[in-house]
Amino acid sequence: MSAAQKNLRTFLVDAIRWNVSGGIGFQIFRLLLFIGMGVGIYAYSFQARYGLAVTGMNDIVSWGFYISNFTFLVGVAAAAVMLILPAYIFHDPDFHRVVIIGEGVAVGALVMCLCFILVDLGGPLQAWHLIPGIGIFNFPSSILAWDVLVLNGYLLLNALVPAYILYCHYRGKTADERKYRPFVFLSIFWAFSIHMVTAFLYQGLPARPFWNNPLMGPRFLASAFAAGPALIALILAVIHNSSSYKIERTVFNKLRLIIVVSAIINLIMLFSEIFKEFYFPTHHSSSAIYLFFGMDGHNSLVPWIWSSVGVNFLATLVLAFNPGKNNPRVLLPACGFLFVAIWMEKGIGLIVPGLIPSPLGEVVDYLPTWVELGVTLGILSLGITVVSWLIRTALIIEQDYAQQLQQERLP
Amino acid sequence: MRLHKKDDPKHLIQEVLEKPSNRRSFLKGVSIAAAAGSAALTAGCIPDAEGTGLEEARLRWQEFFKKNYRLMSQEEKEQTVRRLERLASIQDQAQLQIGSEPPLEKVLFGYAFNISRCEGFMECVTACVKENNLDRKSNTQYIRIFEMEPGQLDPGTGDGQFYHKVPVDHKFYTGTQCFHCENAPCTKACPTRATWKEPDGIVVVDYDWCIGCRYCQAACPYYGRRFNWGQSEVPKEEVTPKQHYLGNRKRPKGKMEKCTFCIQRTRKGRLPACVEACPTGSRVFGNLLDPDSEIRYVLKHKKVFRMREELGTDPKFWYFID
Amino acid sequence: MNRDTIFQLNRGALLPTLLAALLFSNAGLLSAGESSVIERVKARKEPFADPLSSQLGPVLEKTVWAKEGYQGGAFRVLARKQAIARFPCSSCHGAKPVLVRQAFELTHGNVILNHGQGERALSCSDCHTPEKPQLLEDNRARKIDFDHSYQLCGQCHFRQKRDWLGGAHGKRVSRWAGERVVYSCASCHDPHSPRFEQRFPATYSVPLD
Repeated sequence: MSAAQKNLRTFLVDAIRWNVSGGIGFQIFRLLLFIGMGVGIYAYSFQARYGLAVTGMNDIVSWGFYISNFTFLVGVAAAAVMLILPAYIFHDPDFHRVVIIGEGVAVGALVMCLCFILVDLGGPLQAWHLIPGIGIFNFPSSILAWDVLVLNGYLLLNALVPAYILYCHYRGKTADERKYRPFVFLSIFWAFSIHMVTAFLYQGLPARPFWNNPLMGPRFLASAFAAGPALIALILAVIHNSSSYKIERTVFNKLRLIIVVSAIINLIMLFSEIFKEFYFPTHHSSSAIYLFFGMDGHNSLVPWIWSSVGVNFLATLVLAFNPGKNNPRVLLPACGFLFVAIWMEKGIGLIVPGLIPSPLGEVVDYLPTWVELGVTLGILSLGITVVSWLIRTALIIEQDYAQQLQQERLP
Repeated sequence: MRLHKKDDPKHLIQEVLEKPSNRRSFLKGVSIAAAAGSAALTAGCIPDAEGTGLEEARLRWQEFFKKNYRLMSQEEKEQTVRRLERLASIQDQAQLQIGSEPPLEKVLFGYAFNISRCEGFMECVTACVKENNLDRKSNTQYIRIFEMEPGQLDPGTGDGQFYHKVPVDHKFYTGTQCFHCENAPCTKACPTRATWKEPDGIVVVDYDWCIGCRYCQAACPYYGRRFNWGQSEVPKEEVTPKQHYLGNRKRPKGKMEKCTFCIQRTRKGRLPACVEACPTGSRVFGNLLDPDSEIRYVLKHKKVFRMREELGTDPKFWYFID
Repeated sequence: MNRDTIFQLNRGALLPTLLAALLFSNAGLLSAGESSVIERVKARKEPFADPLSSQLGPVLEKTVWAKEGYQGGAFRVLARKQAIARFPCSSCHGAKPVLVRQAFELTHGNVILNHGQGERALSCSDCHTPEKPQLLEDNRARKIDFDHSYQLCGQCHFRQKRDWLGGAHGKRVSRWAGERVVYSCASCHDPHSPRFEQRFPATYSVPLD
């Protein structure tokens, strides 16, 4: 197909065509994701019928697994900035090749965030009340209104800039940097803002002393900049091993540095929080006491948080001291463990204890039901599908474009 | 929304099967199907082709697209409560009187609770449940009564689930509910302004505008809000028929609700159900802007305190001792 | 150039403007510890012109004008006499004397006097008088109507009576607006055994887990 025949329609058609074709492994992967989404829809049908009563949440623990995952995934989305910043601002050639993958992950994470919010709503059919104009948007008073704004804005920025660049490359043209650069700057600012605003969502509640803590925002950023790049490193390794798109070693080394610095800052802040809660425990410390040691015979989160902290600490040590001398068989599992540990701590380990004990001192345990797990599986499958579609499309276009450039350079 | 899926047990519109069977005949005309389908979409329920079914579909359609209560004119408020009454009579064969009384001029409601008088009989709670049509299935209660050990004041240190003969010697009793804060964190948090403070000081929820995000519940430092995790159930013969749009009317599932100082009563000059039911006179309610009111007497002559005053929420609910 | 402007817009102007809008949006920032509802309440001194008083009919129960006023003037109190079995007393206590044995069997046998403890325990004659059984009598021999028993109770329980007059003790009947009608002492307290009996609560709170 010549460049002249390529238009927006063929762009979309090709994107779909590339994504339904593929080897047997890819097809199985895709089938599993579809099954996951099916489970999610099936589980959600119960929630739609009986209401949120089918979840493990109640009037005391009014936010659970959904909001935990939402909070964590905002961090993953924001972490794309750790690739965008070096790639576009410092013109790092290594990162320039992988930034598109980071942006794909961000889009997938944001789609999941918005889905988690939607399934958490008691009245999803009334969600249009949030749309300014036909609804009422409590802006700027409600931080949740800010969050809706920044999340959708970030999704738009992270979808449109790469889409523009890819579309240009698809048509064999160079993307005009003057056109997208302002939006790149905006998206860098925006990445910090989505995570700070999400932190403010909790930080701004004097009713919940566990959250009402000025370290919440910075700590969100630090943990996000550790967990996000860890996930991206894993995805890059998968791409490197399963496709013809090869990733330079130096990218992994640079990512390791980012992860280590962020993870260490995160641990320092965690230590600072723990010190504040336990050196002189006040009644504001009761959530932390419940989380780390249990309270009134309720201790379902105690093993959860200790394993998270332990794994987090060990994975950070491994990444920092690099015992295998850049051996991917050591570093990649460490990235995986770090990612899971931060998910455990910043998801359920942050949201659930913030609500326990209740303002009237009552302690209950929270366990997600199969409906919540099923819906979550569905949303994760959807997110992974989105990420894989975007990355596959992007890599095919980028490879074709690179070939074309090479051919042009040859006499 | 597919109409033939009506008999699929896994489908979300299955709740229609629990309704009386006269509403289960299939739709005939295309136009009727379109109207009914849209109504089913809005409410998860299929009306039939009979006259009431069509009327129900129309009413639900109008209800779905109505405005936030605060933005309605008094005329529109009248219209929506008439629609809700009609829907109640079609769906539940219930004859209700839903009001939309506006706040009174120069009225600011306040409440005081005498911790040296309360003896833990919990009659306020049963009266509240009855008056406000609270969900019997999940035992929703707006009021909590705590049996307190002497020497401590925070309800968190007390027992909120006692059931034995009361009063127990050397213990005292204290109650909590929504404190109708002047500077309410919940109304600040709501992303759609579905909850707000009325000019007479009552913090209310527009159940139909609420999207069920529960941010207000996380923001409330007093555990004053309750969520409809499922569809509330009240036996038909126990429903209090005198209702208010912002008060004790039927709450849809997935919406927030809370104490409204019995807005359906107090806007007509009556006392809240809890005050009327209290056998010990521990509960004082009145107009803070009336210098001669009982509540003003309490504030002026008694040693009062408010719960978690340090949060700056400025509750209009005072505790006092004799 | 283009880039710089955007930076300036982001960092220089947009953020502080939005932040200011957020913080001052509903005076949340300024509320803590400053002017509170109590200032507004205290500032309000002019009497409340009750718009409901004309709409509200009289309460259903039988009431009498109290012989004392409260801060808002005259008020009504629930009548007591119609609630007393075998009132008026003159139906038995006529000119002919009633034998104590007879009376005990016929009418007052159910009365268990548990008012005051130890040396301060009350006896029948502390409030009732054989000369005028249809009236109560305080310890200064003042004769008091059964409908105005608060005058008698208040001779010892003067603090409670003061609070009752003001509104911190007892309560109004069914409505906060309109003419003030309050419960009488004996509406809630059995005069012969004024403490509330121990009993099971009407309901209980269900644990959530």
